[in-house]
Parts: sequence; C-alpha cells; structure tokens
Amino acid sequence: MLSEEYLVQQAVNGDQAAFTQLYNQNFDRIHRYIYVKVRSQAEAEDLTQDVFIKALESIGSYKWRDLPFAAWLFKIAHNRVIDHIRKQSKEKRASLDEAYARSMEDPIQMTERNFEVYQLKEALERLPGAQREVATLRFIGQLSITEVARTLGKSEGTVKALQFNATASLRKALQGRFDG
Amino acid sequence: MARKLDDIFNECYERMRSGESLMSCLARYPEHRAELEPMLLAAFDIGRRASYIQPRPEFKHWAQVRLEGAQYYARQQRQTVTPSQSSWWRQGWAVAATAVIILLVTTSSTVAASSNAMPDQTLYPIKLATEEVRLALAVTDTQKAQIHTQLAETRAAELEAMANQGKTEHAAITAARLAKQLELANAAIANLESTTGTTPTTTATPEPTIPEPSPPTPPEEVPAVQPPTTEEQPTATTTEEQPTTTTTEQPTATTTEEQPTTTTTEQPTATTTEEQPTTTTTEQPTATTTEEQPTTTTTEQPSTTEEPQTTPAATKHDKRAAERERLKKLLEESKSKSQVALENAKENASQETKADWQRAIDKIKDKNKEKQDTRDWNYWYKDKGRDENKSQSDNTTGSGGTPTNVSPSQNQPSTPK
Repeated sequence: MLSEEYLVQQAVNGDQAAFTQLYNQNFDRIHRYIYVKVRSQAEAEDLTQDVFIKALESIGSYKWRDLPFAAWLFKIAHNRVIDHIRKQSKEKRASLDEAYARSMEDPIQMTERNFEVYQLKEALERLPGAQREVATLRFIGQLSITEVARTLGKSEGTVKALQFNATASLRKALQGRFDG
Repeated sequence: MARKLDDIFNECYERMRSGESLMSCLARYPEHRAELEPMLLAAFDIGRRASYIQPRPEFKHWAQVRLEGAQYYARQQRQTVTPSQSSWWRQGWAVAATAVIILLVTTSSTVAASSNAMPDQTLYPIKLATEEVRLALAVTDTQKAQIHTQLAETRAAELEAMANQGKTEHAAITAARLAKQLELANAAIANLESTTGTTPTTTATPEPTIPEPSPPTPPEEVPAVQPPTTEEQPTATTTEEQPTTTTTEQPTATTTEEQPTTTTTEQPTATTTEEQPTTTTTEQPTATTTEEQPTTTTTEQPSTTEEPQTTPAATKHDKRAAERERLKKLLEESKSKSQVALENAKENASQETKADWQRAIDKIKDKNKEKQDTRDWNYWYKDKGRDENKSQSDNTTGSGGTPTNVSPSQNQPSTPK
C-alpha cells in the first residue's frame, strides 16, 4: 500500500488518481466530523463536498511539512463549518427525523442508533468550544493527538488536557441521558 | 513527578485503538484504574456512536461524480489556458492514432451499432470514442460549435432515456456528462461569438475596410471615423462643412450607411433632407452619391465602390449570428428536455432516491450557471481588452457609431493623441 505522504506528493504534482485515493481514505471521517457540527444531513453533505472541492483546488499549494494531510483537510472542514455556521441566522437543533444512522437492519435498531447519534450530537454541542473541537477531531475525525494539535495550533499537552476534560463531560452527559 | 492522568488516559486510548484490551491497559496503571476505566469506556462509547454516522451510498456516489467533474474541469482549464503547440500536435497525433485504431479494430457495423448505444450498454464507450474523433476532425469554429451542440443533444437524449427507465446511477453519470458537454458547447458558441464580434451592427464589419481607402486619403483623417465616413471626411477636408451638417441631422445619422447621406444633403438644399429619413438606408447612398459627385470632390467615388464590399461581410456575419442563435436555442431545448425528464423521474422515484434525482437536476442548473458566470467574465475581460486597445490605437472608432454627437473637428485632434 502506498504511504499517505507519497500519495499526497503525487496529488500535489497533479496526479488525480492519487487525489481520488486520498479522497476515499478521508471522505467518511470528514463527513462524520461535519455532520456532528451542523444541523442537518443536507448541510453535512453539501459541506463535505465543498471541502473536497476546495482541497482539489488548493492541493497544488499544499506542503507536507506544514501540516499532515488529514489535519489539512480537517482544517478546511473546520473553516468551512465556521463560515457556514456564521451564515446561519439562528441556531436550530437537528430533529430526530434528520438523525443519520442508516442500516439495512430492522427499524427498531435503526431508531435506537439514530437516537444515540442524536444524543452524541447534543452532548457535543453543550461542550465548551475548545473541548468540543478537540473531542470532534479526536473521537469523530479519528486524528492523532499530534494532528489535532497541529490543526488547532495548540500544544500536545493542552490537547490531551482538553481531551480528558471533554471525555469526562461527554460521559456525564451521555450517562445522564441514558439514565434519565 | 507523577504522570498526569490525561497523559495516561491518552496512552491507554491509543493502545486500545491499536488492539490492546481494556483490562491489559488498566493493568498497567492499577493506581488509576477507578478513574481510567469509566473514561476509557466513555471514549469508546463516543466512537461507537460516531461510527453509526455513515454517508448515504447515493451521496457518496454523487460526491465522487462531482469530484470527477471538478477534476475534469480543472484538466480542461489547464489545457485551454496553456494550449502549447507541442501539446496540440501531440493531441492531433493521438486523435489520428485513435481514429486509425478504431477503424482497424472495429468494423463499420460496430461503429454504426454503437451510435445508438445507451450509457448502460457495452457499445457505449465506442460511441464516445467515435464522438471524440468526430470532434477532432472539426476544423472551423462553427463546425466545432455545431458538433459540441449535437453532442449535448445526444447526452440529453441519453439522460432522458435513463431517467425514463429510472436508472438512477446511469442517469447520475449521464447528467454529469451532459453538464460537461453543455459547458463545452457553450464555450464553443462563446468562441464563435468572440470571433464574430458581439455587436451585429454594421459597425463591426466595415472596420477591416478602413485600411483600403486610406492610401488616397490624408493620413490624419483615416482613423477619424468609420469607413463610409472616412470617404466623406476627405470630401469634407474643409472641416467647416461638417459641423454644419451635424447640427441638422444628429438624430438620423446613427448607422454608417446614413452618414453619406448626411453630408450630401447639406450641399444641395434643405429639401433633400426630408427625403432621407423616408428612404431606406441602403439605397440612398448609391443614389445620392451619383448625384453629388459633381459637387463633391473625387474622393467620394471610393465610397460607392466600397459599399458592395461591406454587404457580403454583413451577410456572412448575419449567417454566423443566426447559426449561433440556432445553436444556443438547441442547447436550451436539450437542457430543458433533460430537466423535465429528470423532474418526472424524481416524482416517480422512491423517497430514498429523490434527493439523487434532485442533485442531477441541480447539477445541470449549477453547471450552466457557473458557465454563464465565467462566460460573462470572459466577455468583460475581452471587452475591457478591446476597449483598452481601442482607446490606445483607435479612439475615434469607438465613438464611430454616433459621429453626429461629436463634430469631426473635435474628433480629429483627439486621434493623434
């Protein structure tokens, strides 16, 4: 399997197949990251596409040494989401109807999963900004501590502390909901 | 100093992500077990919930199609922006080689059969290859625009068929192809427009004839105004005459054909001025110039010989403009037909695929909008460039359409500057 760095180098040099491979590797997690930050499925889908189109447009100027590729993508996604949220005049929570887990399994299981995703989204929304950002990149985007630190421009120590606090808050929120 | 708990938590989380068990991790830090265990379980619970968030397969497919479209567009942009001669030749050779291969490998019957192939059929790639060859063999801009338009019509018909059959995936791909083809066709038509000139009035065509009469005329007056007026101005080399004419006939003298009449009417009497508005613009110059030749100087004669030269150019221009309009209309028809088909397919589609059909509709709309925007910008740049060139070299021709507003005596000093 080709290393990510090699693929990125190829993509920077205009190899569209390499870019497509990187796209396939990162698509789901970028989509997941955006989904928990916006209020609807349609918005998440549109923004996910925008992120990759933006990445395609800017790949020529990407430099590996500045930021790992995944971190670079998440940074684009983060900026795109921020722009999007700014444009929203009023905050509206995602309804249960819009919850997203899809499967071919039985409807009861699907409903349960949708509810769990909905709870997670709500719990994340209640976190302080820095904690929410770290938790989203780390647990939803599956970035490493180093990548999160590079994406957010924070030290690894700070990111670890934020991650710990965010986990504690989320546990409380999710457990409380589950118990209630 | 003892390690911070957040650091230990992170280490355990990473280990578990790599496959280590929870128990094994906790065994490493028995003193923190009570705090670590619920935290690690919570972290994995978050990950489990997040794993339920999966993009819809249809959305994934559409996103992929859109990305391919963007990649294709970027490639096209690179090719059109820097059309180096070597790549042009290479492209030519590649096309020729493809044509030969197609001719050798496939029989004519296969090609003929492929011409009706639909996107879901095996011969469809041959159809696309044949189209490429056909396109490459087009020489003139008009031919290219015509073929691109025909291809857009073909894509629209295919899309209609796929939509009618409810084949979401093939319709998606064909919609992307149609969007690209519409873009190419519009670009080809825009190219046609740029070579033809955007203003279909007679002011565009006479311009090339300016250099022809210039040798007999004095050099200062050649660039003054448009062709018919260049003949007149030599006649009116005594610049006192023209100011008087412009004051009387400013409203009527809008086209170049009318200008000869304006100068001629002055010299005889005021009675002729009443005739000019009633008679047609094309006939008057010939009739009046013959009458006036005795009165005016000999430089007017070239004007009578030159006018027949402008009319074929004008008709050629009109033909191109008409063709352009025809192609535009065909493109619009193709677009609207396919949109109607997609709308119908969307109505009949299941709830799950409705969004996909909507995307197909949007795709065609969006592409056209983008294309329209870029075309507008292209015009803006072209017009800007043209204006700049004019202002530098040919300042008075820019106002040549309305020479009556500015007297020739005012124009002439401005040209050398």
